[in-house]
Parts: sequence; structure tokens; C-alpha cells
Amino acid sequence: MMSKRMLPIVVALLSVLLVWLIWFWQPQPAVESGLHRQLGLAVEPEGGDFRLQSWRGPVSLSDLRGKLVLIYFGYTWCPDICPTNLAIISLALKQLTASEREQVQALFLSVDPERDSVERLRTFAEYFDPIILGMTGSQRAIADVARRYGVAYRRAEQGDSAMGYTLDHSSYIYVVDRNGRLVDILEHATPAERLVEVIRARLAEG
Amino acid sequence: MKYQTPAAALLLLVPLLALGLFPVLADQTVLVSDPYARAVAPGQPNSALFMQIDNGGDQDRALVGAASPVADVVELHTHHMEDGMMKMRRVEQIDLPAGESVSLQPGGLHVMLIGLKQQLRPGEAVALTLTLDDGSELALTAPVRQILPMGQMHGEH
Repeated sequence: MMSKRMLPIVVALLSVLLVWLIWFWQPQPAVESGLHRQLGLAVEPEGGDFRLQSWRGPVSLSDLRGKLVLIYFGYTWCPDICPTNLAIISLALKQLTASEREQVQALFLSVDPERDSVERLRTFAEYFDPIILGMTGSQRAIADVARRYGVAYRRAEQGDSAMGYTLDHSSYIYVVDRNGRLVDILEHATPAERLVEVIRARLAEG
Repeated sequence: MKYQTPAAALLLLVPLLALGLFPVLADQTVLVSDPYARAVAPGQPNSALFMQIDNGGDQDRALVGAASPVADVVELHTHHMEDGMMKMRRVEQIDLPAGESVSLQPGGLHVMLIGLKQQLRPGEAVALTLTLDDGSELALTAPVRQILPMGQMHGEH
């Protein structure tokens, strides 16, 4: 039996709890997981198949099924950020064994089809490694791929520069597993050693 | 025999003055170290130059321009991250505060070569002239390197 003296104390405590719940308790969503957190995006990038142009002709991501695919979005006029990331990819690819390399395909997707022809992209991409295939497409096709992979880019007019225009763009390496699923997004300037670890872990998944 | 030393020094000064080297040697408080240019793919129209600039003087200076025979246009640029995007923009000048050291490095400030007249291959060198806000010029030669991130470099052969 609860004593009569305890009752008002219990009521008071419950009231305090109720007030706190109403005024102060803000439930946190379950721990954010997945790829969108890395990108600071509200929506998880779905990834998925796409078909773009290359010097070999049109190539679909689904044509590469069975290979681990690394994707970097950029443009060839980019003097620093894109070459840095392609150099990382190139360095990582060089650390793979011959049989590992056969299971990997890297793609450089240009968000600047105005300046980047498939031939230009070929020279640019293969300079870093012959495994890297340069691709691009219509503005609309690129915008669609970018949206689905959570890539941000925007043409920025540079009236005060001989560049004419540049492309502001997010800088990540996207990893698509052998079943075509977007599984990892690596930050700008991720060390090559880390990229090698990710490649080997994904290849080990079979 | 004492008089010979100053005489010899004076004799040395003559060719230095004739070459215009003397003012540079005597009054150079802004020093550039470890300049290098990024090696690029054939047909690549642009590249970037990086270096460290030390202003050892007691006056603030600024880098206001650059020129090189390997490119049509040379500009000063910087990068910054905004809205999740890397943005490259031209800057009017790069401040060199007195007594400080400023790094031009990948992902940040750089000298931008636009309209390359030749491919930049590892092992070659790029001539560059920097102009400071006091009108003085610094001439330097930057080796071309294959640049890898995090300070790793190779291919200087």
C-alpha cells in the first residue's frame, strides 16, 4: 500500500516528467546510416544503371556487371581537383594484382559535354590509367546520372578569367559493386591505400 | 696587398650590375621555394603551378600577376569548398603578409596556366615570372612533376 503522503510526491514527479516530455523531449531519428550522411544529402543516392557515350561507343553500367566499378565525376579543364582524384585512382589501380585489375573498371564521367568530346576524354582518362574510361552524354543524361548518384555540379561563369567558365562540382569516388549497386562513397582526396582496401574488400564479397 | 680585396670586389660588381642582377640579389625579401608544375595529359589545355612563398621583409606584399612562355594566359586562382562543391575562382592577388609564408598547393591557391602551348611532361621545366604589388618581378623555373596527393610524388624522371 502506498502511503497517503507518497501520493502527492508521485503526482508531482509525474507532472514534472509530463511537462519535460511535452516541452523538452525531442526524439532523435534512428542513427543516420548509409551513404546520404557522407554526402550531407537528405535522400540516399540510389545509384543505378545509366548509358553514356565513350570512344568505344555507348556503354551502360550494366554492361560492366561482374566488375567492380569506380566512378569519378569531373571535367577535363579541371586543373587540380580532378587530376588529384584520378591520380589517386591510378595509384590504387597500380597496387592491384593483374587478376584484381581485370575485375575493376574505372569511369571518369564528364559533367562538361560542351568541351569534353569522347576523344578528349579518352586521352585525358587514359593518361592516368588505361582502365579509366572517359564518358559523357547530353546535359540531360548527365544531370540524371548525377542526381541519382548524389553528385552536385553547377556551371559557373568566369567573366574575369580566361577559363570562360568552370564547373563547381562535388568530388567523391563512387564504388559500384559487381551487382551494379552503389555501395561506397569516398571523400575527395581519399588516400590511395584506403581505396585499395575498399576495392579488395568489395572484390572479396564475390 | 690589402687594397686588392676591395678592388676585386668592385670588379665583380661590374658584371653583376651589367646583368641587372645586383638589385635582385641585394633587395629580395620575397623568396619562392619548391615551385613545381603539374604534369598533364597530351592536349590538356590547362595546368597549375604550386610553390611556397616567404615574405621575409617587414612590409606586406602581394602577388599580383604571373606570366609564362608555356601558356597563353597565366592567372592566380584559388579553390574553396561551398555547398558540398569544390569551386575554383580567379583571385586578383595573393596576399603575402610581412614575415609570413604562404603555400600555393593542390586544393587551394595556385598559379593557373590557361591555354598551354605544349604538353607538360615530368622532367621538363616551366619558366615563370611573378609580379609583386611593388612592381618587382621574380623569375623562376619550376620543374614539371606528376603530382600525387598527400605530398607523395613520383615521376620526376
